[in-house]
Amino acid sequence: MSQPAPGVGGPTNETDPDHTGRFVRQPNGRVRPLSPHLQVWRFHLTMTGSILNRVAAGALSFGALFVAAWLWALASGPETYAGFTAWMGSPLGLLVWFGLTLAIAYHLTAGIRHLIWDAGDGLDPKTATWMTAVSIIAGAAVGIGIWVALFASGKVVL
Amino acid sequence: MSRNEKTYRKGVKVSEGHGAGEWRAERLSSLILVPLSLWGLWGAWTIAGSGYDGARAWLAQPVNAALLAVTLLIALWHTNMGLKVIVDDYVHKPSSRTALLAFIALLCLAVAGLSVFFIGRLALGSAPLPAGLGA
Repeated sequence: MSQPAPGVGGPTNETDPDHTGRFVRQPNGRVRPLSPHLQVWRFHLTMTGSILNRVAAGALSFGALFVAAWLWALASGPETYAGFTAWMGSPLGLLVWFGLTLAIAYHLTAGIRHLIWDAGDGLDPKTATWMTAVSIIAGAAVGIGIWVALFASGKVVL
Repeated sequence: MSRNEKTYRKGVKVSEGHGAGEWRAERLSSLILVPLSLWGLWGAWTIAGSGYDGARAWLAQPVNAALLAVTLLIALWHTNMGLKVIVDDYVHKPSSRTALLAFIALLCLAVAGLSVFFIGRLALGSAPLPAGLGA
């Protein structure tokens, strides 16, 4: 199990050094292909969808802190809550919550796409690309739609 | 199962360590969070612009308080697993990786604990916090 598949062109044993730079020796001594790097990959939509999902996930990790801070402010009484909402209602605060809304909307649509893939469906390139396009467009539409509605209904004012 | 034994299910190798369990936990949490995050967005819509009284009234309903606590607990569990995957991908030095994973796990636990504490006080209609803490 320590050798790459025949025909891959990598080093075939421990004494054959790798001249291609496409293989790496793992700490356990096994030879494995090096992870594909961005600069040698032709652009395709699924990799954009993937990295956007990871960016959204990272943003939502901070979002959890914001929700916890909201709960703290609410539990600390009207004065603290007024101060908190003044910060969060400022243009910068609203921008943060708008970003978090986009992040949760896209993480949701991309997550559903991921679950479909995990079930073994939609993995051929054409369907995968189509599903990624749908998840990006739907995520953006939901995120932006919520904020258009928030402003239109007067729930949020600048 | 010994580490050298290889088991296959539907032509796919089952992980030799704890990978299969982690994979399943990631998917399970994702699946539960699909309806919960939709509910959360709807809740945020309800609370938006309703001020202190509106937010307190929303959280005073036991269903909302309970669902919010469950949502946050599962979301933070999911967050912990997701951040672990990112650290596994980019942090290769074992000591840094261990330290970072411990920090992330503790932070997730702290946020989860504090959130549930706040939600509990809000649901029970407790007095504003500093007084409650005896300050």
